[in-house]
Amino acid sequence: MDGDSDDYMNMAIADPVEKRGKETYTQRRIRKQREAEIKGRTKSKAELRAEEAAAREAALSKSLDASNKGYKMMKMMGFQEGSALGKGDGRTEPLNIVVKEDRGGVGLDSEKKRKFREQVDQEAKRVKAEEGNYRDRVKKEREEKRTEGLVLGAQKVAEKLDTEADEAEDSKNTPTAAHSPARTPIIQPLTTRALTLHTLATYPPIILTPAKHKPSTAADDTSQSRVGSSRKVRPTKQINVLWRGLVRHREEKERERRMRYDLHQSLSRLPTYNDPTESEDDKQALGKNNALEVDIEEEDPELEEFDALGPAERLSRLVSYLREKYHYCFWCKYRYPDDTMDGCPGATEEDHD
Amino acid sequence: MDRRPEAEEKPRAKRVKVSDLNPKDNPYLAHRYEEPATNKFRRYATTAAMAKEAEDGPNNFFTGQPLSQQYFQILEARRSLPVHAQRDEFLNIFHKSQIMVFVGETGSGKTTQIPQFVLFDDLPHIHRKMVACTQPRRVAAMSVAQRVANEMDVDLGDEVGYSIRFEDVTSQKTVLKYMTDGMLLREAMNDPDMRRYSCIILDEAHERTLATDILMGLLKEVSIRRRDLKIIIMSATLDAQKFQKYFNDAPLLAVPGRTHPVEIFYTPEPERDYVEAALRTVLQIHASEPEGDILLFLTGEEEIEDAARKISLEADEMIREADAGPLRVYPLYGTLPPHQQQRIFEPAPPPLRPGGRPGRKCIIATNIAETSLTIDGIVYVVDPGFSKQKVYNPRIRVESLLVSAISKASAQQRAGRAGRTRPGKCFRLYTEAAFKKELIEQTYPEILRSNLASTVLELKKLGVDDLVHFDLMDPPAPETLMRALEELNFLACLDDDGNLTHLGRLASEFPLDPALAVMLISSPEFYCSNEILSLTALLSVPQIFVRPATARKRADDMKARFAHPDGDHLTMLNVYHAFKGPQAQVNTKQWCHEHYLSLRALQSADNVRTQLKRIMEREELELLSTPFEDRKYYENIRRALVSGFFMQVAKKNQSGKGYTTVKDNQDVLLHPSTVLGQDSEWVLYNEFVLTTKNYIRTITAVRPEWLLEIADTYYNINDFPKGDVRSALERTIEKIRRKKLLKGRN
Repeated sequence: MDGDSDDYMNMAIADPVEKRGKETYTQRRIRKQREAEIKGRTKSKAELRAEEAAAREAALSKSLDASNKGYKMMKMMGFQEGSALGKGDGRTEPLNIVVKEDRGGVGLDSEKKRKFREQVDQEAKRVKAEEGNYRDRVKKEREEKRTEGLVLGAQKVAEKLDTEADEAEDSKNTPTAAHSPARTPIIQPLTTRALTLHTLATYPPIILTPAKHKPSTAADDTSQSRVGSSRKVRPTKQINVLWRGLVRHREEKERERRMRYDLHQSLSRLPTYNDPTESEDDKQALGKNNALEVDIEEEDPELEEFDALGPAERLSRLVSYLREKYHYCFWCKYRYPDDTMDGCPGATEEDHD
Repeated sequence: MDRRPEAEEKPRAKRVKVSDLNPKDNPYLAHRYEEPATNKFRRYATTAAMAKEAEDGPNNFFTGQPLSQQYFQILEARRSLPVHAQRDEFLNIFHKSQIMVFVGETGSGKTTQIPQFVLFDDLPHIHRKMVACTQPRRVAAMSVAQRVANEMDVDLGDEVGYSIRFEDVTSQKTVLKYMTDGMLLREAMNDPDMRRYSCIILDEAHERTLATDILMGLLKEVSIRRRDLKIIIMSATLDAQKFQKYFNDAPLLAVPGRTHPVEIFYTPEPERDYVEAALRTVLQIHASEPEGDILLFLTGEEEIEDAARKISLEADEMIREADAGPLRVYPLYGTLPPHQQQRIFEPAPPPLRPGGRPGRKCIIATNIAETSLTIDGIVYVVDPGFSKQKVYNPRIRVESLLVSAISKASAQQRAGRAGRTRPGKCFRLYTEAAFKKELIEQTYPEILRSNLASTVLELKKLGVDDLVHFDLMDPPAPETLMRALEELNFLACLDDDGNLTHLGRLASEFPLDPALAVMLISSPEFYCSNEILSLTALLSVPQIFVRPATARKRADDMKARFAHPDGDHLTMLNVYHAFKGPQAQVNTKQWCHEHYLSLRALQSADNVRTQLKRIMEREELELLSTPFEDRKYYENIRRALVSGFFMQVAKKNQSGKGYTTVKDNQDVLLHPSTVLGQDSEWVLYNEFVLTTKNYIRTITAVRPEWLLEIADTYYNINDFPKGDVRSALERTIEKIRRKKLLKGRN
């Protein structure tokens, strides 16, 4: 008779009986089978060896204790737990057993360990260094992005103002005089350069028909007003380097669009197909007039140099250009009437805070 | 010096003629006419000059016999040994102090000369005492004794003798006794003050064998009780300060060895495979270094034989292809038969043709070539930095030989071997940084690496009761002592208070491990003491089965002929019985060769048996046998085995693979050499060896009932944790109970 189980004063709280949902026969059978499999599986040699080593390590790390009969005898001889034998300066722990399992030379193991540790250290250092920089980097990136946006805005303003200024000038001069010299050099490099480029890109070499590119200035003018909205087209190299990048970017985009369009067209039509019904204007509208195409492919060291500058520097150049030329303050978003720029707090963004 | 000149003038043969009645020649009347050379000799007051005169003859200082021609030849060589130059210095210190430390490198001549220096000063033949000189190894004790007997122009066993376990070559005349340190310890058990000695020399103390360490502890105590006892500690290495300090600042005398500088080379990177690196280095030396022999240190027999084969093959190729000189390879390890060990002293082979490149020999040795053996001609030493060392851990009770890195002291010793004849080179196959950081300073003394059960029994017998405070140079871990006491208690050699029991006293009479001794003492109870006696002898000698690499299959087949289904012990017994049978005795050598057995081991077992039998008769233990026809013949033997080895039992795992040792719960496998199948539930083993796997070796199947019956204290069911072993034992108890009930009812 087990007295304990009936003792209601017993403080022991019975383990909650695990409530198992009704196990179906199949479930039980599967469970039993799995258990048997685990139990009956013959362990691999490696597993056995690992177990053997683990048992050895476990036993080696456990010291003999007071339950040992020898302990009591030693106690009678005056042994103090934790002290050494003899005069007391001996060892308290037995020598450990190290089983050498390979033929590695003296120092190989520690060399391996050292190398491994070094690698780990380096990795840890790298991660730590990166962690430290992360915030700075993100901050910097964000700022650069913002400045880049400001540059873009400033470029747009500069373009607008420059175009307006040009137009104002144009209206003073004869239009042809201003345009013809600008137009001719564009066609010159076209044949050679565009050929290579476009064949490489498997781009339909429609532009190899320079004959079409003899539009009259008038026609050009009109078409320009239609396609390029109000903007006047100039060879990009003549555009102010400060906002040339903007134009170039726009042109690249345009070209891409056209390429896609042409590709789409070419599915049904030969790229060289020349629709006789198409008027010059239509061609222009459909982007078959590719005069500007070449230009953007050209190398532009000046622009490259400018783009290589940091965004802050570019922005400051743009801002000072606008100020000097148009008395426009990029930060006030206001064009002052004269170069004193009365009312503007300063040239930098901080001044406007 | 006043000696008897006529003895020299007369031819020896004439002297013994009865017709020549010169009473002076009558040995029985010699004392009347004696004006002995020893007259001038006062104990502890002699000088080197006096000794020299006495050595010069013409008669033997100790026997009075005329000295032979050979003696004088050897004497010349002896006098050129480094120790001779400091004989006076030695004597001065020896006179003044009770304990002294003597340091002499190998080759200084200390082992052979110092004891003789002592003889001429201590004069034990007059004072009816002896001088003892201990050696860690049996072979050394024997060979040095022989050497010194020659040097002193006496027969071995007369004035100079030796005593090793199971072999005593001494007589009444003996004044100088070389002996193993273990033997002196055993003697001390019956003569705790070592009264028969006037001087005790502990040689090769730097090797720090278990027995030497215990002896030092004892002698430290004895030296207080016996002020007249002189003690000399001899060491070959320079850690002598430790000995000085231990012996209360004993004076030191150091004699330089004859050594040449040795250049030491390290590898730039740690080696991936030290054996491979060693082979490469040896061949490289052979290809590119000038004349001189090579000594390569490896760890064990198998490794050495394998390396020897490979080097020979490669060297042959070098001869064919690169016109290299001949290279002869000699293996050297402890279990190699003596005549093969001797071969290492053969000279290097001559060039293949006149004017050709010189030949050389390459000795591949274990660390026995590190200190104990001196081989001249070695110029190059290759040291991979490993040796096989005994380890013991009381927590899992495993005593095994494991490959471990050597110590700095060992490495220096090895390097020193290259500078014996001329400046040499030592190639260490590890980096300098590894030498500095990885190697321990000194090899751990054996006492830290051994099971101390038999030592504790000896100490108890010696009257050392406070083992905890016994002053040892390097006391072992407390747990080692704890385990030893526990084992002795289970063996009933010590009672619960740690006092020696009758059985313990009896067991200490046998130069055996306590388990073996207890088994032997209990064997009459099982009516098989004759058989157990044979078995004990067989377990005390090296492996009796020979299994050469070239004929493994054949050797196994031969072994199978002797196999007993119940295990290796009975198989060994079968071998012994066959060996003693008339068929084998016709030509034992032939018989052993045919059956792949070691004649040497069997003969030595036979010798051990005789010695043990003598002790049994002395202790009045009955020698019995169960009749062979009795079906209990083998069972009785197995039960007797349990009486000694019940602590070395393993039980088969439930999963069916492998075994688990009882109580220590170590996973073990049966050693592949066993004749036992895999189906025995319980097995008893002689050894637990650790290699890359845990093995138990020399195994016999036993029954759990026997364990419970014969070793009931150890197999107290309450001492076992829940688990496989416990439930199996519980089942057995239940079975026994039911059987008894059944019997009672009938």
